[in-house]
Amino acid sequence: MTAGIAPFSEERLETIRMIRDSAAAFADTARARKLRFQGIGFDRDVFREMAELGWVGLAVPEEAGGAGLGLPEMVALAEELGRSLAPEPLIAAQLSAHILAAAGETEVLASLLAGQSVVLTAWQDRANSLDVATGADTPRRFVPMAAGATHFLWPVREHGRVALHLLTLEEVDLTAEDTQDGGHLATVRPKPWHGHGPGRHLADDVAEALSEGLDRAALATAAYLLGGMEACFALTLDYLKQRQQFGRAIGTFQVLQHKAADARVQISLTRAAVEQAAEAGAPALISRAKARASEAAMLVQQACLQLHGGIGYTDDYDSGLYLRKAMVLAPMFGGAALHRRRYMALSPELEEAA
Amino acid sequence: MNAITPREPADLNLLDDESFRLHIRAWIEANYPAQIRNPEKRLHWAENQVWYHKLAEKGWLCPGWPREYGGMGLAPSKQIIFTEELERWGCARCNDHGIIMLGPLVIRYGTEAQKQHFLPKILTGEHIWCQGYSEPNSGSDLASLRTSAVLDGDHYVVNGQKIWTTLAQDANWIFLLVRTDATAKKQEGISFLLVDMATPGITVRPIINLEMHDEFCEVFFDNVRVPKENLVGQLNKGWDMAKALLSFERIYLGSPRQSAYALARLKQLAERMGVAEDPLFAERYARHRCDLEDLKALYARYVEVLKRGQPLGADVSQLKIIQSELYQRISETMLEVAGENAGLSGPMEGNRDLNPGGVYIQARPTSIYGGTNEIQRNIIAKNVLGLPG
Repeated sequence: MTAGIAPFSEERLETIRMIRDSAAAFADTARARKLRFQGIGFDRDVFREMAELGWVGLAVPEEAGGAGLGLPEMVALAEELGRSLAPEPLIAAQLSAHILAAAGETEVLASLLAGQSVVLTAWQDRANSLDVATGADTPRRFVPMAAGATHFLWPVREHGRVALHLLTLEEVDLTAEDTQDGGHLATVRPKPWHGHGPGRHLADDVAEALSEGLDRAALATAAYLLGGMEACFALTLDYLKQRQQFGRAIGTFQVLQHKAADARVQISLTRAAVEQAAEAGAPALISRAKARASEAAMLVQQACLQLHGGIGYTDDYDSGLYLRKAMVLAPMFGGAALHRRRYMALSPELEEAA
Repeated sequence: MNAITPREPADLNLLDDESFRLHIRAWIEANYPAQIRNPEKRLHWAENQVWYHKLAEKGWLCPGWPREYGGMGLAPSKQIIFTEELERWGCARCNDHGIIMLGPLVIRYGTEAQKQHFLPKILTGEHIWCQGYSEPNSGSDLASLRTSAVLDGDHYVVNGQKIWTTLAQDANWIFLLVRTDATAKKQEGISFLLVDMATPGITVRPIINLEMHDEFCEVFFDNVRVPKENLVGQLNKGWDMAKALLSFERIYLGSPRQSAYALARLKQLAERMGVAEDPLFAERYARHRCDLEDLKALYARYVEVLKRGQPLGADVSQLKIIQSELYQRISETMLEVAGENAGLSGPMEGNRDLNPGGVYIQARPTSIYGGTNEIQRNIIAKNVLGLPG
């Protein structure tokens, strides 16, 4: 399904192929389906297996115990996880690993990279914002899969710096709300504490690492959405070829063909934007990629549902899983409108066309 | 038309890409006639022949042709840079059907005699070509074309009508798709024929379009006698030959340059109208800008395919859809921003950069020509997605 040639070197493409192959072991939407709406919403053992494959520390430098790979590899992995709708909070864990590594913390990081701990970053205090929460006691919102966490990273923005604390599960109160995809988003509140701040103080200023980590998480989420689009679109094409009405395959009807062609166009634009951002790594390009992915994912998933007709509206059928996943991930780490605004703020003026 | 002997070009392939780009750029900037930069309309031969001849004299008229035929023999990556530099400076398109369509086709399928006869005359500007494909009843369904060529002794006798023939009034030769077997199925009875426009029986009638411009023509053929040696390739194989040249057209039509140009003009217009800071406008502008940059990123992936000398897949059709529809959306925003000025038939305040109505009208045919966007979607559905016929 690749349009044109990806902007990655041959050597990179080989690593990417290997990552995609190992991700195939988890390519099973039935697994994701079973984990919905119960317990912690994901499989701890699978999370550990993923960590053992080096995925949590995929882009963490080797000297900090990671695999030392880059954004193109991270994006390829996220895309594969999106295909199989893996519910494990891998992108959130990668964000935490990135911050811990930058902060020079080793103990919790090692345990996270090994998959023994699940460390999530509770950075957000309101919807539609990429700003890090201010105030040590401000409740943190929208922490994905928090019920399965062992630790929380607790950044606090004050006086132009972002201090970092580490809280254990015992040191917080959680209120979890189910999400459309069968996972949950939690509001996390620190229990009353003594001393300078909640939990253990890890670093005085992680502003830069957190900002970079959030960019990476946004890009990985875009790639996850891309994988979901491609997988659900493939299901839809099969259906269009098989489903008979009026004595012929519904895929012969031009109005459906054109809807499918438009979905394909959105997928191609998303891939071009995501892979360009992965290659360059610039925050502006990441914002543009997430904006495209968030919007395209909804357009494509809606089209896939409509092209299926009634069967697409049943919970038994997988296309609904992809749509409901997109509803959760399209706004996560910033939605389309927010990232478009950020792109405009960060990007240079349009090069004057002669 | 003045015949000019082209100079043998030096092998520019030996330069690295950046040096090549600067070399090309310097020459274009020094030699391109200032008065025809960024023309609003497709120029006629009378207006752009000076540029055609400058390129010819330099030996740079045909970047893609092999050097043995008088071209520059540029590698694909260098050809792309060459085109980018022409676009960057706002150079007018030449009367280029001989250069980009007929020349490559003759080089690939023509006889040695045809190559020796026709190629040098393109290089000197002695022959200016136009393309006779579409007919009044064969537009999107081009293969149903009915203009006939019947063999009579040493000649084919051509009867019928072509339409949407770009700049036929400037051309002295036309290449035609003609039906040579009325009994065969559609694509199988079509041949490729070269016709001197001075032959008795040919009538050219310009069509005025919504830009009030005579870019397109109708061409009528009434018992036109064409020597049979002007058939290119095998009899009844013309369709396959013509089709082989079309993927170039689709990437060309998918180039982001029209949208980029329009977006820059939209910004100027918004500033002039005092809405540049309006949040509703800013939102719309940001959307167009992101759409443009995503198109550029996708376009770059296909350019990379060309640079490696690989064939473009059928999904290159999507570039043309994305480009033309973005260009149209930008032009629609222009109309909204312009208010009553939208109805003007010329630029606002005599400023060529502020021409909302003009850009809007110019953007309309981009979703029609080169295969309508509906046809492009059919191609994606069938040849890319594998949906049943």
